[in-house]
Amino acid sequence: MTSQPPAVEMRGITRRFGAIQPLRGVTLTLGRGEVLGLLGDNGAGKSTLTKILSGALAPSGGEILIDGQPRHFTSPRDAQDAGVHMVYQDLSLCGTIDVAGNLFMGREPTRRVLGIPLLDTETMHSRAAEMLQGLGVVIRDTHARVESLSGGQRQAIAIARAAAFSPRVLILDEPTAALAVMEVEAVLSLITKLRDQGVTIILITHRLQDLFHVCDRIAVIRNGVVAAERHIGETSIGELVDLIVGERFHARSAH
Amino acid sequence: MPVPHTDSASGNSMPATSSPTPQKTPARTQTSPLHAIALLFERQPGLASVLCLLLVCVLTFSLCAPSFLSVTNLLTILRQNAAAFISATAMTLVITTGGIDLSIGAVAAFSGITMAVLATFWHLPPAFALAGALLAGTVAGTANGLLITRVGMAPFIVTLATMSVFRGLSLLIAQGYSLPLPENAPLLEWPGRGWIGPVPVPALIMLACVAAGSITLHRTRFGRYITGIGSNQEGVRRTGVNVRRISLTVYALSGLAAALSGILMTGRLGSASSNIGVGFELDVIAAVVLGGTSLTGGYGTVIGSALGILTLACLKNGLILAHVSPFLTQIFTGLITIGAIWINMSLKGRDLFGIRKNGDDN
Ligand SMILES: Nc1ncnc2c1ncn2[C@@H]1O[C@H](COP(=O)(O)OP(=O)(O)O)[C@@H](O)[C@H]1O
Ligand SMILES: [Mg+2]
Repeated sequence: MTSQPPAVEMRGITRRFGAIQPLRGVTLTLGRGEVLGLLGDNGAGKSTLTKILSGALAPSGGEILIDGQPRHFTSPRDAQDAGVHMVYQDLSLCGTIDVAGNLFMGREPTRRVLGIPLLDTETMHSRAAEMLQGLGVVIRDTHARVESLSGGQRQAIAIARAAAFSPRVLILDEPTAALAVMEVEAVLSLITKLRDQGVTIILITHRLQDLFHVCDRIAVIRNGVVAAERHIGETSIGELVDLIVGERFHARSAH
Repeated sequence: MPVPHTDSASGNSMPATSSPTPQKTPARTQTSPLHAIALLFERQPGLASVLCLLLVCVLTFSLCAPSFLSVTNLLTILRQNAAAFISATAMTLVITTGGIDLSIGAVAAFSGITMAVLATFWHLPPAFALAGALLAGTVAGTANGLLITRVGMAPFIVTLATMSVFRGLSLLIAQGYSLPLPENAPLLEWPGRGWIGPVPVPALIMLACVAAGSITLHRTRFGRYITGIGSNQEGVRRTGVNVRRISLTVYALSGLAAALSGILMTGRLGSASSNIGVGFELDVIAAVVLGGTSLTGGYGTVIGSALGILTLACLKNGLILAHVSPFLTQIFTGLITIGAIWINMSLKGRDLFGIRKNGDDN
């Protein structure tokens, strides 16, 4: 581990939106294949930080290194080319497009007809069915429009899409928030499996008990900086709650 | 292009938490005509409702006016509305992205004037004058697209303003006169009033445009992103698609289509006028909406728009043949648009034929 550069290194990341500045200098390092749980109260800046890492937002300051290489992401495509993929909290799916179309959005297979590259919908649907089945996701018809699906099914599609890119770094922003119990289990198993393949993962979740199943380490963001980092074996749900809400509420949340 | 490989990243050894039912794959075998019609109503309520209205129009007028269904009359309808079909095709793409282009009538006039000026005053060969007109329209559309995608202005505002600019430019160049096309250049009029055997050239151009537009929107990656942008632009951007370039291209295409429309209208009249295409954009938008395309974006069909133009054209033509006051045409046009959208809305989300219950869908 010491000879290899870290998979992800964020140094002094800042971001302001007009008057408010959710990120005031976040420094965070992830080893290769590490699963990091990212915690923080609502509005702490978790989504902002991870969107910066995935190229969806530009930082106001600071630098990002992937595998030791300094990177300047100006678009999600840049980050994807560096192997960084993200499942966004608001999912990024297109409701009026069918399941297969969403899974392949941005990289649709084509087939030349008279020299014109046309969508190969047959391949899309059969591959989509395989991808979903591989994840244990029950969606009977890949022709169904995404707007007709349940929240859990949509979440599963978003995760399946990111996983299919064979990411080196995968960011999951509250992936289990809308899921049924079975689906949560499937997502957690998927995260473990991706970790075993060497994928570096950042998991944002409010389900603290899940962190203990899949994470190696926890980082807590408060007041725009990383307020605390803990190895998973050295902490407890109670301590994490304290770290998230801060000292002021220590007494109230401790019992 | 990276293609997802389902074997390793999202492979088959997932704990079988929940995969008892086999995936239902594309196979759809039920194909009785009744079922097909039911599916059309279920899946494409917009298409279904405009198709119903068109059938009602055709039936009514073929009873009231025997000449309505004659080949001559039908070809006349296609000839006279070729420009509208072409622009409606492009407008479908624009509206499906969630945008709008109000400048097409003005751009059509501007392109026609450009063609006449290039041929008459610059003495360019007709082919160059035609190319110049198409270029003028494309540049106009690109200007719209740049203001919308780079500056971030609302499409409605941008194209409302450029509508005024291009209409004004046309008036300025032509000084209010209409510019006759040169006698020795029949090629300039050919797209608008030529014939190949028994078939009018504008009808052929129009069919080619509608077919190309339909394939583009429904069968290409570009078309898929058009729909995606209208549905969730940020989501499509995050998958790495250059959404600005897609939108820019769509507005450029709309300008190109407007230019082609202008060439057809100018050719049909035999002279370029700065007053052609006044209100053209509204007729086209009405037809697109009539055809079931969602004004909020994310859903649209080129065939629906073509049926929308056809319906409004039949209405206009049929009312004249039936000797109904031409003043009534506009009233009917408006009422029928409202009617179609009403039918569309009440079809949407209804399980009229028990298809969902039968488990064929979802
Ligand atoms: N695009 C934006 N414009 C303005 N403020 C934003 C924007 N995105 C996030 N914020 C603000 O930044 C802060 C952090 O938000 P976010 O990163 O979504 O928090 P979290 O994901 O930790 O709940 C919040 O106060 C939020 O209102
Ligand atoms: Mg968030």
